[in-house]
Amino acid sequence: MSFALEGIHILDFAWVGVGPITTKYLADNGADVIRIESAARPDVLRIGPPWKDARPGINRSQFFASYNTSKRGISLDLSKPKAREIAKRLVPWADIIVESFTPKAMRKWELAYENLVELRPDLIMLSTCMQGQTGPNALYPGFGQLMAALSGFYYISGYGPGSCAPPYGAYTDFIAPRFSASALLAALDYRRRTGKGQYIDMAQYEAAMQNLAPALIDYAASARVLEPRGNRSDRYAPHGAYRAADEDGAERWLAIAVENDAQWRATLDVLGAESRDPRFDSAAGRFANPDALDEFVGQLVREHNAYALTAKLQTAGVAAFPVQNCVDIHNDDNLESFGFWHWLDHKEMGPSPYEGLSHRMSRTPGDLRRAAPILGEHNDEIFRGMLSMSADEIEQLKKDYVIF
Amino acid sequence: MPSELLKGFRLLDLTDEKGALCGKMFADLGAEVIKVEPPAGCSTRSIPPFLDDVGDAEHCLYSIAYHAGKKSVTANFQNADGRKLVAELAERADFLVESYPLGYLDSIGLGYDALAKLNPRLIYTSITPFGDKGPGKDYRWADIVSWAAGGMMFMMGEKGKPPLQMSLPQAGLHAGGEAAISSLIAHYPRQTSGLGQKIVVNMEACIVWTLMNEQSMPLLHGNFIRRTGVFTGSEDARRKMVYDCKDGHISILVAGGMVFGASTRALVNWMAEKGLGSPWMKEKDWVSWVPGVFMKMTAQDHKEIDELESSIQAFFNTMTKHEIYAEGLKRRIFLAPVANVADISADEQLKSRNFWIEVDHGDTLGRKLRFPGAFAKMSATPIGSLTRAPRIGEHNDEIYCGLLELTPARIAELRAAHAI
Repeated sequence: MSFALEGIHILDFAWVGVGPITTKYLADNGADVIRIESAARPDVLRIGPPWKDARPGINRSQFFASYNTSKRGISLDLSKPKAREIAKRLVPWADIIVESFTPKAMRKWELAYENLVELRPDLIMLSTCMQGQTGPNALYPGFGQLMAALSGFYYISGYGPGSCAPPYGAYTDFIAPRFSASALLAALDYRRRTGKGQYIDMAQYEAAMQNLAPALIDYAASARVLEPRGNRSDRYAPHGAYRAADEDGAERWLAIAVENDAQWRATLDVLGAESRDPRFDSAAGRFANPDALDEFVGQLVREHNAYALTAKLQTAGVAAFPVQNCVDIHNDDNLESFGFWHWLDHKEMGPSPYEGLSHRMSRTPGDLRRAAPILGEHNDEIFRGMLSMSADEIEQLKKDYVIF
Repeated sequence: MPSELLKGFRLLDLTDEKGALCGKMFADLGAEVIKVEPPAGCSTRSIPPFLDDVGDAEHCLYSIAYHAGKKSVTANFQNADGRKLVAELAERADFLVESYPLGYLDSIGLGYDALAKLNPRLIYTSITPFGDKGPGKDYRWADIVSWAAGGMMFMMGEKGKPPLQMSLPQAGLHAGGEAAISSLIAHYPRQTSGLGQKIVVNMEACIVWTLMNEQSMPLLHGNFIRRTGVFTGSEDARRKMVYDCKDGHISILVAGGMVFGASTRALVNWMAEKGLGSPWMKEKDWVSWVPGVFMKMTAQDHKEIDELESSIQAFFNTMTKHEIYAEGLKRRIFLAPVANVADISADEQLKSRNFWIEVDHGDTLGRKLRFPGAFAKMSATPIGSLTRAPRIGEHNDEIYCGLLELTPARIAELRAAHAI
């Protein structure tokens, strides 16, 4: 079986989240991605948990591994001129080059688009950083956690005005790659039609804000600021997470969204409500008394098992699902039937857990083709095989910490 | 001018809020995007809030934002002629993306198998809440369902209060983005093989994907994170992520090690200049300070972190978020304001990059609206130039007469028969 992007070559200078996740989309679908890294300045994720057996090590981070499947990896310390020379020898091979440093590193190393396009005239190159290649804050150093705050997502996460309970992790790192990878694939098609490559400057900031567009447009037009409002909705009442019966001494919560009167009646039937509050008979009444409604629903839900209640509510046509934790999602029949979880054999970690693709194609399905590379795992095959370097030469470069 | 990037390609958008962003992205990239909706309009036309609280389709902010750049035709799926129109459009399309309940389009002859017979090149992308095989494949969906199922909700909120959703629902946007990237992946081989395919997007998986590998923690470390408000990390190694300031909140990553040590040192020095913080903080080697990362935190670590966090809080109480951000940028400290849409709209960086664009809504709303602009700057084929969201069925004549070459008389008949 062939993969969709077989034959596409990508040289990947990127690190941390957005860049490597962008190339992972392409690698899992068959593109040959060579990551250039170095122990001199390792990818931050290589030193972050979770680690195999909870024991740290540069080749033991599943955090790094998850975003670098299906890629090959070489080690070159690009702060050394000789390493940059070697990297440049791979440029003519590359259809696409991706980098995600703050916008000074590649310029300093003379590995900017202007330099590399001389070696490959139809090159497509993506630079992605926090705030873009230009502007007063171009050199802003940061991570997706900060970007999620800067681009508005922390602010709209809370129980009401003034409250802040942010999303977990580097939220915007998981928005931006779908945009950057789409831009790359569209650019490939444009190159196919015209023979022209190009340079793409994507700010994580500007990509992430696409997920906030209605509120940004509203503010510009009406000066209305979108405030956090807990789980309140203008479309569903009740709407929120309600505490179900505890399981094994731990809290269980259930998300419910009721859209109309028929669903509300079905909800009451399923919950076995004996008394009815006339205020809640109409949608208008439910929207007008949200606190009382939440309390009423909360009391009824508290007695039920979350999963059993989900099945009953869904059978009755009501949108509901348990609030799942990171153990639950590994025991999830829906993800299981989609073939979402994978165990891949990593060179140092051995069999390791990977999340799979969120899409499935009928004709050219993508796959996690191999576990993430350990640092420099493919040095020999690339330096000797692709660049025809001799064993002696490679040995010397290792001694000089060029290959490092 | 639409972008040259995907010029000449056509996408039929049969999605609701589970996928509207997909078509928007294709429009940004220069494709012709035709939204096919019921005669009364798609459900996305009535999603609150509304501009100026005027509750009609033209003031629906969701539609304004995510249908921009598209065209709209109406077709009545309950009507054989209406369905035939959609099939004829699909015959002339490169992409189709839909988010109807599983099996619905198959049941009315607009499923992948039927349309691929008419057009083998078609890439047909179905967005599903829980995939197409599991026990939840026919489950009723609301955005909060994906947020809960995919694990993000569990980690958002404060102990003792309910888990949280964001106040602008996000799951449908992740799914729309996933539909766009997967459709474009399938596009690449199609342009040489001539063969399209069927794609299924799983919304639950899209949310699991946002968890930043926390999903591996139970398997590798035997623990997992619970919601702890403004803190992050496990209970015994948690770190405060968000602090109060004079006019809101500041987010900051306070840690040590190779990556964060210099930032923390810069923060401590800044505090010391203002006479805040303890003397030990200035002495500390922050680069080798990594409590709770490689080993369990000691009582001393906890004491230091508590003291550091309360010093930072006292410090930030004296300034606004703008003041803290401006100085943090100069000192290269890993921090950011918890910005709201007003802060973002005033941001100098975005202005300097000409991020914002004006989209003319003169004939519908009597004004121009300011939109977030392109998601990327592309040197050869600038993207993201937009026309306003179409009215429901605004392009019926253009598309049905132009693309399908129907006569005006035939269109009148179809209208009379409620097919359009």
